[in-house]
Amino acid sequence: MTDSKITSKEAIMLVVTIFVSHTIVTLPQNLLSNTKSATLINLIYVGIIAILLAYVIYRLLKNFASLDIIDISQYLGGSVLKTIVGGIFIAYFIVTSSNLLREFCEGLRVAFFPMTNILSILVPFILVLFITNYLSFSSNVKTISLIFPLVLISIVFLFFGNFGNFSFERMFPVLGKGFVDTFITGIGNIFAFSGISCLYFIPPYLKEPNQMKKICLSSVIIGLMYFLFCTATILLLFSFFVDVDEVLPLYSAASYIEFGIFFQRLESFFMLIWILEIGSYLIVTNRFSISIFQKITNLKFHKPLAMIFPLLIFGIALLPKNYSIIRFLESNIYAYFIIAIVFVFGIAILFLANLKKKKERSVKPQKTQ
Amino acid sequence: MNFKQILTDLFTYTPQEEYNFELLRNSTNDTSLENEKLKKENQVKNIYTSLRVNLEYVKSKYNSMINSDIIVREFTLIARGKQYSAFLLYIDGMIDTDIMNRFIIEPLMLRSKSNLYGNDQNRIISEAVANNITVRKVKKFNLADYIMNCLMPQNTVGQYSEFSKIFNDVNSGNCALFIDTLNVAFDIEVKGFEKRSIEKPENEIVIKGAHEAFVENIRTNTSLVRRSVHNENLIIENIQIGAITKTSCALCYVKTLANSDLVSEVRYRLNNLEIDSMLSSGQLEQMIIDDNLISIPQTISTERPDKAASYLLDGRVVLLVNGAPYALVVPAVYTDFLSTPDDKNMKTSFSNFVKWIRILATFLSLLLPGLYVAIASFHQELLPTDLLYSILASRETVPFPVIFEILLLEISFELIREAGIRVPSPIGPTIGIVGALIIGQSAVSAGIVSPVLIIIVAITGIASFAVPDYSFSFHLRVYRFAFIFLGYCCGFLGIGLGLLAYIAVLCDTKSFGISLTSGISPLQKTVGHSYFLQPIWLREFRASYLDAKKEEKQEKISMKWKYPFLKKEDTK
Repeated sequence: MTDSKITSKEAIMLVVTIFVSHTIVTLPQNLLSNTKSATLINLIYVGIIAILLAYVIYRLLKNFASLDIIDISQYLGGSVLKTIVGGIFIAYFIVTSSNLLREFCEGLRVAFFPMTNILSILVPFILVLFITNYLSFSSNVKTISLIFPLVLISIVFLFFGNFGNFSFERMFPVLGKGFVDTFITGIGNIFAFSGISCLYFIPPYLKEPNQMKKICLSSVIIGLMYFLFCTATILLLFSFFVDVDEVLPLYSAASYIEFGIFFQRLESFFMLIWILEIGSYLIVTNRFSISIFQKITNLKFHKPLAMIFPLLIFGIALLPKNYSIIRFLESNIYAYFIIAIVFVFGIAILFLANLKKKKERSVKPQKTQ
Repeated sequence: MNFKQILTDLFTYTPQEEYNFELLRNSTNDTSLENEKLKKENQVKNIYTSLRVNLEYVKSKYNSMINSDIIVREFTLIARGKQYSAFLLYIDGMIDTDIMNRFIIEPLMLRSKSNLYGNDQNRIISEAVANNITVRKVKKFNLADYIMNCLMPQNTVGQYSEFSKIFNDVNSGNCALFIDTLNVAFDIEVKGFEKRSIEKPENEIVIKGAHEAFVENIRTNTSLVRRSVHNENLIIENIQIGAITKTSCALCYVKTLANSDLVSEVRYRLNNLEIDSMLSSGQLEQMIIDDNLISIPQTISTERPDKAASYLLDGRVVLLVNGAPYALVVPAVYTDFLSTPDDKNMKTSFSNFVKWIRILATFLSLLLPGLYVAIASFHQELLPTDLLYSILASRETVPFPVIFEILLLEISFELIREAGIRVPSPIGPTIGIVGALIIGQSAVSAGIVSPVLIIIVAITGIASFAVPDYSFSFHLRVYRFAFIFLGYCCGFLGIGLGLLAYIAVLCDTKSFGISLTSGISPLQKTVGHSYFLQPIWLREFRASYLDAKKEEKQEKISMKWKYPFLKKEDTK
């Protein structure tokens, strides 16, 4: 078990990896289409709500020391609830991973491999997952911690590299479509913080469980910074009325960067880094899916499952017929799916478990009397 | 040849007799019988009191009738005036005959006055008289003790009652003395075989460091290490490996620094090797590392005693194998393969500069050809238009696809490198020049490869030479081909995913319980370890992942001469 323990910094990177990978595909686009020029303000607003929710999750998890949501659901409703919760979260991780993978691969096809079948672009990712799933959890996290700084640098570089091309008037009107769309219906943009789902599963892996508060808050704050950088780059660079339908908007943004006459088209290098990031994301979601499955089936070893989950992701990723179906699912269904599972269902389970615990605590002193 | 003979040869047929040797495999019964026989022979046998029986046994064991270098010298030994039959067993060419004659045969055979005194064999130690009764404490004469203490003016002598121990040392160059009536034999060190003297390191050349390298003799190597460490806490344990060769291996560590669990683990692995022979440190390395499937080296191999000593003082364990001029250091981390002993001898800014260069060299050596293939096949937009035109123009006459072109050159380069190592040393550099200049130039002229590719392969080759560790450089060379294929198949997608898998495997690899990537995570500070060196006065701690018994290397203020006004307790 010591082999699977991670430090608080590694845990933060794990959570932020989930945030970041969505920004590489169409997340900034979805945010922009919802709240237009008010996206930055909206992001700060939903970011603050996400920080509060992360704090709530920390408070709710605090009473259960090193238990994750699966253990907590067992405590709440026995094996039946544990299996239901586990199944829902496995489905959540698999579906979001396959959707993200398919979306990214469609982007890769448009950018680099226009004549290639999507199947051939998906297969290398699945092969890498076969390898990484055989390795230990701590090595997976270490891999992510080596790749993560590169991604961080790439986004910051993208922002400052494009700084000269920004049109700051695109921030106006500041409230976009209006106050209601920005602050009331715009609250739906909280789906961007789906990485919070990792917080439910991290406690058993922590070397220092008392650092949970730091992990919850830091990861959401860093994620928010990322979103701001990415969204600002897209918002200030493109007229969202015209270019918001780009396949990979950050990739398109990268093509505007120029350094002298030698470095004129650097987007492929950015793509190289983002491929690593998407791979990291898939590693994390796969490991969590395997870990949940192990818990609900009481399996001792993870290696027999190493090939099953990547194949599942592969299969589901192939289900949508074309890119427009993926875009439709992404903007109309997944956002609610994420909000329902991560922010409603997860918190509800933790809340009920806390109530049960509180009740037990209040019953115990009476019994002793 | 006369006419008749010619006619006979022409018209007569004589079947040609062919010599045909075939190695037939022994039947299963024969093999099992042989194994039984060997097992019986390997059973521990004690030395007999009868010299004749011992002599017969020794002769049969060493096959002295057919073994030309086994010498059995029979003679008569004189001890306290009495004569005993004895014989010496040794191997010709492995002993120093001068030492043998002057310090063994001469004192045992020649008559000296003290040795001739043969009065009472028993010696009275003390005597007391009480009530007219005399009580004497008498020490009985012991021939073995007498020979050991009085007749053997030799510094290293052992007494053993088992043949196996005696034979083991005779095989190492000692001589054995068997004496009639004694059920023990003397093991006398008279080693004197020819060995290579200490020379300059050939593969780990430094500018400012020591110029001594390990040799094949294990005792010389241990002395070199001990001279550098110069502390009584340096422990050099002897472990024999190999059922046939019984190769001596030295397990070296500093008792007060090295983690006990680490030392126990290394000892455990060494003691549990069931093999017939062990002839080099390279073989030992493969036998003790955690994972042999991946080619990433997991131990540090060095020919420099100062480097080995430096690692010992960090709390690591050094292994020496008799017959191998290389030491193995465990555990190893990734950054060790990019460090040289000279790094610590140079100013920090200089060493950090070359460390950057080595990172670049590693990157180029592993990825440059793959990146070139990926860019040429999928990502041409990365190149500026002028450069792209010139590359396309240079490739215009080349009839092959880029993958064929690069493999052709890479394999040629590997061939040149391999040939340069195998051919005699005066011709080696010539092969390199001929290969690189003439073949390269001709290939471009013939339109087989493009000039840009020559530059790419040359830079890659030079970069691989800049990687200090040979095994690590080799590892990069092998993986480079994988990245070439990935780059050709999927461009940056292949390179990126290959890199991800490579990093993941690297992070999972362990060397004696320590992750190979310890200390390289940019967001995780490892106390006492960083690839880039701090100024020497700031190198206060040993690497935390080693969990050494003593964490501090030096005091907080090591250059006390600079702060004479500070109190002693403030400097700690």
